[in-house]
Amino acid sequence: MIKTWELDPEFKYEIMKESGGEHLTACFQCSTCTLGCPLTEIIPTYNPRKIIQMSLLGMRNEVLTNPDLWVCLICQTCTARCPQDVRIADLLGAIRRIAEREEEAGKLKIESVRPSFDKAFMHQIQKYGRLYDMGLAMEYYREKEGSFFKGMMTMSKDYKKFGMRLFKKGKMGVKSMFPVKVKDREVMKKIFEHMEAEKG
Amino acid sequence: MSNRKYGYYPGCPSESTAIEQDMSVKAVFEKLGVELEELEDWNCCGAAEVEDPEIVYALNARNLAIAEKKGVNIMTPCSICYYNLERSNKALKGSEELRAKIRGIDDSLAYNGGVEVKHVLDVLVNDIGIEELSGKIEKKVNVKVAPYYGCYIGRPPLTAFDDPDAPVLMDQLIEAIGGEAVPFDYRKAKCCGGPLMMTMQDIAFKMARDVLEGAKNAGADCIALACPLCGMMLDAKQEDIEEAFGIKIGLPVLYITQLLGLALGIDASKLGLNKNVVDTKPILGKVV
Repeated sequence: MIKTWELDPEFKYEIMKESGGEHLTACFQCSTCTLGCPLTEIIPTYNPRKIIQMSLLGMRNEVLTNPDLWVCLICQTCTARCPQDVRIADLLGAIRRIAEREEEAGKLKIESVRPSFDKAFMHQIQKYGRLYDMGLAMEYYREKEGSFFKGMMTMSKDYKKFGMRLFKKGKMGVKSMFPVKVKDREVMKKIFEHMEAEKG
Repeated sequence: MSNRKYGYYPGCPSESTAIEQDMSVKAVFEKLGVELEELEDWNCCGAAEVEDPEIVYALNARNLAIAEKKGVNIMTPCSICYYNLERSNKALKGSEELRAKIRGIDDSLAYNGGVEVKHVLDVLVNDIGIEELSGKIEKKVNVKVAPYYGCYIGRPPLTAFDDPDAPVLMDQLIEAIGGEAVPFDYRKAKCCGGPLMMTMQDIAFKMARDVLEGAKNAGADCIALACPLCGMMLDAKQEDIEEAFGIKIGLPVLYITQLLGLALGIDASKLGLNKNVVDTKPILGKVV
């Protein structure tokens, strides 16, 4: 049941201020995004149209804590098919960023490990300027499992066969234990610091 | 006359999980007499994990600025790198305000909008062209291929260079090398599940299984693709997917540049055919 007195009419503007969320109000609820979404074959209840409608209504908390936000594959099928150019893939990204900021401020809890993965990925770029697979996996597993030790245990279990397969093909050797770094790493740091400061 | 030199942006997987794509791109372009100059000190494009578009724009402003200083257009073999480079290029070209803002972070991000960004498939078919390629074919690659395009070749409309649902560029290449593109209907451009590989593996595996089984049921000898993340899912993880669902696929997965390289008469080892995880020897036997 929707309680009208709990709706936040400002929520849609909050999303539209976020890069990628600008086209939210163009949606006329035709559901083309959901009908074409490949995830619905696996999760029949997955429904980006509904997330948009809830956003337009101002169901701020329900939207920001919706675990479906973190299942999107960013495959862009919805964006390609939308007759109103809502750019749903970007829009969901904008909503995810608001949710992450709310979580950082301690206002809600995200029930997904995906933000930890994205953060671990960004930290590699910030530090090295290139993706460092091993560093990403180590940080992600540490965050996901709650401690360095537990993370390493789970990681070695998950990677046992896969890692050996890549090792045999020369794709995960001694070289991959160490990061490849760009020379100008200072600018990487600056980019992330600048953007963080700007978003407050 | 096509531009005979490109600034090469290999992307992070080029040094590890997609080394065979990097090897085959370099070998093919050398054979075609098209120069690739690697962008000096290029940085990561942001992949699918950097969600804030402004960070993506800033990261790629540096890559674009490196190419601009060298006076070259960019070519990349990775579909995700292509998407990030090209959407950044479009955003920066379209807004003086954005360019100024990003330039303000660091001088090395000063980009004036003078570069074009292309995916290797676009360069091969549209810049170099099927006609020139056909004239250089030395061997018939007599294989049935499931052409798998994945997401960022035909989508989103902002950066796409092929049809979103029924792309054709890879099909044209397959025909040119003497192969046969099997009917692969809507799976051609359906997501492989890659972005969820580390966080929701069960869903990622179901997505990939659909593509793999679709290709197998269509009678393909192999899958051709053009994105390292698709390669990771469909090739490197194929055994895990077989195990998870108790099925047998056993389908070689090759980068389209590897198949093209074979047709151009390039040695298999130079194309990294021993680096693909699923054995590619059955394909080599069909190169005549």
